[in-house]
Amino acid sequence: MLIAIFLAIGTLCLVLQTTLLHGLPAWMGQPDLLFLLIVFAATHLDLFRGAVLSLLLGLLMDIFSGIFLGLYPLTYLLVFFVLKGSTRHLAFTDTLHQIPLIVISYLFANAAIYIITTVLAPEAVLSWGWGNMFQQVIIMSVTCIPCCSIFRWLQTRMTPGGNSSFLSLGSRPSNRFKG
Amino acid sequence: MRKKGKRTRQLKALFLFGLILTLVLMLIVSTVGRQEFNTPHKLALEVLGRAQSGASSVGGFFKTFWHNYSTLIGIREENERLKEELRKYKAATTRYREAVATNVRLTKLLELKETLPPPTLTAQIIGKDPSQWFKTLIIDRGSSDGVENGMPAVTVEGIVGQVVNTSPHYAKLLLANDPNSALDAVIQKSRIQGIIKGNGNDFDLYYVLKNAEVAQGDEVVTSGLGTVFPKGLMIGTVTNVTKNRRGMFQNITVTPAVDFSQLEQVIIVMKKASLAE
Repeated sequence: MLIAIFLAIGTLCLVLQTTLLHGLPAWMGQPDLLFLLIVFAATHLDLFRGAVLSLLLGLLMDIFSGIFLGLYPLTYLLVFFVLKGSTRHLAFTDTLHQIPLIVISYLFANAAIYIITTVLAPEAVLSWGWGNMFQQVIIMSVTCIPCCSIFRWLQTRMTPGGNSSFLSLGSRPSNRFKG
Repeated sequence: MRKKGKRTRQLKALFLFGLILTLVLMLIVSTVGRQEFNTPHKLALEVLGRAQSGASSVGGFFKTFWHNYSTLIGIREENERLKEELRKYKAATTRYREAVATNVRLTKLLELKETLPPPTLTAQIIGKDPSQWFKTLIIDRGSSDGVENGMPAVTVEGIVGQVVNTSPHYAKLLLANDPNSALDAVIQKSRIQGIIKGNGNDFDLYYVLKNAEVAQGDEVVTSGLGTVFPKGLMIGTVTNVTKNRRGMFQNITVTPAVDFSQLEQVIIVMKKASLAE
């Protein structure tokens, strides 16, 4: 059920990214909402659900972007497993803590796309623009705060006995030493 | 002493009687007589007139205040009504302008369609690539409309790209400025051939020898080779020519004729079914 709901949200994000967000002014960039969902899945969902969700979202992204089928499922799964492994013992569940995680993982994902595309089509010369990349990173950092709050709110709503507070920006995990 | 007190009382009563009689007589005389205010009338009027004047001023103030207030309410309502009308007219004007712009655009597309080898199909762009690495578009025509992979897409300004994936009702276009796109081109004036490749924003014209005469402002069109794009379609204009010391070829940058960020509709040039099929 959780996967279905997050898949529906991912589809909605993708539709927004391919239509309405293109109408934003150039200086605002185009926030990659789908990528935020992948990062959220890596830090908040269990291994099986997160991997399935990343795979499905990657397949969806393949339809609307690029010409190499399989590029996005591969990249998203790679990002998911790297994040899952690296944040296993770290407290990255707080929204504000996720900002550096999103910045690093976004650069990692783009590097992966760049390398894979260069391998698949050596004749295609992709240009890595740092200016554009920094702009995207800033946009993603700003966008992740409301987006992750919404995702977490939805997750807690779907989880039995979860806290249904929407503004969980500064919320902390429950005291494990209590009682 | 008793007589004196009695006499005084009689004189007082007489005086009072005389006074009342005098007043009554004055009243009768003034009523029946000249019909003019006497002094007491005038005095009373002066006093009461001032009070009336004050009361009227206060009443007038409140009346004017209420009138202004009620008028203001009316003006506010009228203002709202006029604003609403203005909004309606503005919306109508916008619709009208949009209709005129669409008409102009479609007329140009129709003119272009007549110059292209038939059959052609007009498609609406419904989505754009969300990533920064690729340049693709989603259009509202698919395999059920006869759209197939490899079919070229053009506009009045020039070439747009080609179809790379299809579903029954939608298709994905690879834009000509995508780094994975390449097509045969020719410089219109000098007929020098080369390969146009996208670099994400503009085009690069490859494989033009150093001894070929290429200048800024030269127009580049499709060569017709490769059988994907019809011959003679506008690609763009040469904006930069560099000749390196090493190598056989020139570095030529071509600015696209089409503004890829403003695309709304494209024409798909359909392939004719061959006799062998």
